[in-house]
Amino acid sequence: MEADENPNLPDAEFLGQTGAKVEGQTRLEAAYGSGDGDEQSIPSASVAGGTKQHEQAHLGTVFDQSYQSWGGSLNPRWARNWAILRHHVYGLFSKGHRPYGIATKLILFAAFLISLGDLGMSFISAIFSETEMHRVFGVSKDNLYGHVLGFWPRNAICFPIIAALLIGGIISEDRTHGTSAIYFSRPLNRIDYTAMKFLSVAIVLFMLIVGTLGIYYTGDILMQGEGWAFFLDTLPIFLGAALAGTILVFTYSSIGLALSSVSRGKFFPAVALLGIFLGMKLIAFLIYVLFERSVLYLLSPYDCVAHVGQALVGTTSTYDHPWTWSLMSLVVINAIALYILASRVSSMEVTRE
Amino acid sequence: MAYETNNHTIKDRIYGAKGGEVVSDQYVIETNDLVKSYGPHIALDSLSLKVKAGATGLLGPNGAGKSTLIKTLLGLIGVTSGEGKVLGFNIRTEGENIRSKIGYLPEYECLNPGLEAIHQVAYSGELIGMNPTSAMQRAHEVLEYVGMRDQRYRKIETFSTGMAQATKLACSIIHDPELIITDEPSNGLDSRAREFMLKTLQQIVGEGGRSLLMASHLMGDVEKVCDRIVMLHKGRLIAQGRIEDLKSIEQEIEIHVWGHASELERELQNSGYEVRRTGRVMRVVRQDESTYAAIIECAAKSGAQLRRMNDHEPSLEDLFIVIMERLGYSVKSSAELFQVGGSGSKVDAPFELKEVG
Repeated sequence: MEADENPNLPDAEFLGQTGAKVEGQTRLEAAYGSGDGDEQSIPSASVAGGTKQHEQAHLGTVFDQSYQSWGGSLNPRWARNWAILRHHVYGLFSKGHRPYGIATKLILFAAFLISLGDLGMSFISAIFSETEMHRVFGVSKDNLYGHVLGFWPRNAICFPIIAALLIGGIISEDRTHGTSAIYFSRPLNRIDYTAMKFLSVAIVLFMLIVGTLGIYYTGDILMQGEGWAFFLDTLPIFLGAALAGTILVFTYSSIGLALSSVSRGKFFPAVALLGIFLGMKLIAFLIYVLFERSVLYLLSPYDCVAHVGQALVGTTSTYDHPWTWSLMSLVVINAIALYILASRVSSMEVTRE
Repeated sequence: MAYETNNHTIKDRIYGAKGGEVVSDQYVIETNDLVKSYGPHIALDSLSLKVKAGATGLLGPNGAGKSTLIKTLLGLIGVTSGEGKVLGFNIRTEGENIRSKIGYLPEYECLNPGLEAIHQVAYSGELIGMNPTSAMQRAHEVLEYVGMRDQRYRKIETFSTGMAQATKLACSIIHDPELIITDEPSNGLDSRAREFMLKTLQQIVGEGGRSLLMASHLMGDVEKVCDRIVMLHKGRLIAQGRIEDLKSIEQEIEIHVWGHASELERELQNSGYEVRRTGRVMRVVRQDESTYAAIIECAAKSGAQLRRMNDHEPSLEDLFIVIMERLGYSVKSSAELFQVGGSGSKVDAPFELKEVG
């Protein structure tokens, strides 16, 4: 209702009450508000059940907020990168860094012990001077190859599961929690971010796969009291196995991080990594059994590394196709994984995901 | 086209947020014809900003280009054309230097819920380049400063929104940055936490002598903390300058009328005055001192009773509405554009924007 109508008529729009009759008091309220002017002198109720002073007294804290400047200097790029690496690797061992679940830590510890199983057997054979036992578990081409690339149990249940647990949320959690904003609003570039995440996973896997290989190799030589000649004879084989192990670590890391970068959770990348490594192996195996064709193993990352590893260590090849095909396939698989990783990381936002 | 406060009374030196403290003479952000386009879509259109030290509000509806501007200022995305400097560093080539001098408080969650606050803040310092010992020491200081002293060793997943927001602020100021960019700092906070956050930001600027660029949808918050604003719309700068000066672009006289309001409105319009009316309250654009007498004269002619007449003290919200009206948008409040996703309906612009500056 318009205000220019006869003031004696009801004001239908007043305070949303349609058709309400407006009396003198209401008109006053309309013009000057509904307060009686004594609001200041009336004690007001507080939520805490008392006066404001009581409320403050109840809190019992004198909080003096005073901004303090900081005059320190900032370290260069390597220190920032080290912070990321340290945060992710130290998290496995101590508090205050990237939190890993207790199950992850226990499984990693168990995997580490399993990886040193051959050293344990070598130790037993050394204690009891069991030459036959040492022949089975001591340093040899097959055992060095098997330590890194043997399928059962290491590459069936040990290394892939550890890789899956490590890569699960390493990038996807930055999307989920928005922590990418913390990273990219800092003077970090995306290459450093990706490289450090990659390295942090690779270092743990390297310690598990290649580190235990080194422990096994040196431990066995020391326990058996082998001489320099044995060492020099077996060193190239060891280096071949270590290189194969490094390729395995790289492949696990690149595929794992690519999967983590396309996801927003832990579950998908972990399961997808296991699916790619074990699933492709299973399919290739079935095809091989049914049709006697090993070429499908080129799609299985594990088999490609195993095939290249066989060539590096010098053991008998278990595949029909040339190992260079496996090497090429490995290059392609890793290139695709790194491309996905790079493109997904470059799309991570600081403002909104 | 932009409103620019070229008021001659503006002092060359600028003052800290509501604190009256002289901060600096320099521009902390300066862009010149900055253009950023994503294919055919122009996110920033010839943006020429000059943001002085102190507290500045960044306003604009959804899709105005605020996020793009922030990313550009942080040196995270390349610009299509134009130049820009933040704290004297080129946004094209010196992004890392800029980010080491800036503290950024994102709108959305950015904390690792599994970490304790102290470690999250220390880690954010290490990511800037602080060594671990000084980062940890400084993390204690800034967490205490933002009122989180007793919650330092609690996991972030147990925090309320206010506590998480305070932790984010601590992360952004750990290295004592020269410029802090905050994106909706009071988003989702209750009134107490909001007051504390705004007070803290005011203090960082006033007492700490830092500069602040505060993107917010809440006009009241911006008005409380900031002296100046930058307003964007569809990637273009539509207003920038001191809030007080921008408000004086259009001074209005508010009158409360009883009876014959329509006649009075017509009478005023016929006399050449611009009138906005809501029921019995009208606002008449003040042309000069004679406007008061003209209103009384028009009221006498129309038979309307003037119950009250005073100079209207416009809020930032009023300023926003005036500017949007001039851009041809029929909006009742900033919320209509800011929170409902830009649903303000476009109508014919009643008059053209006055280009100044």
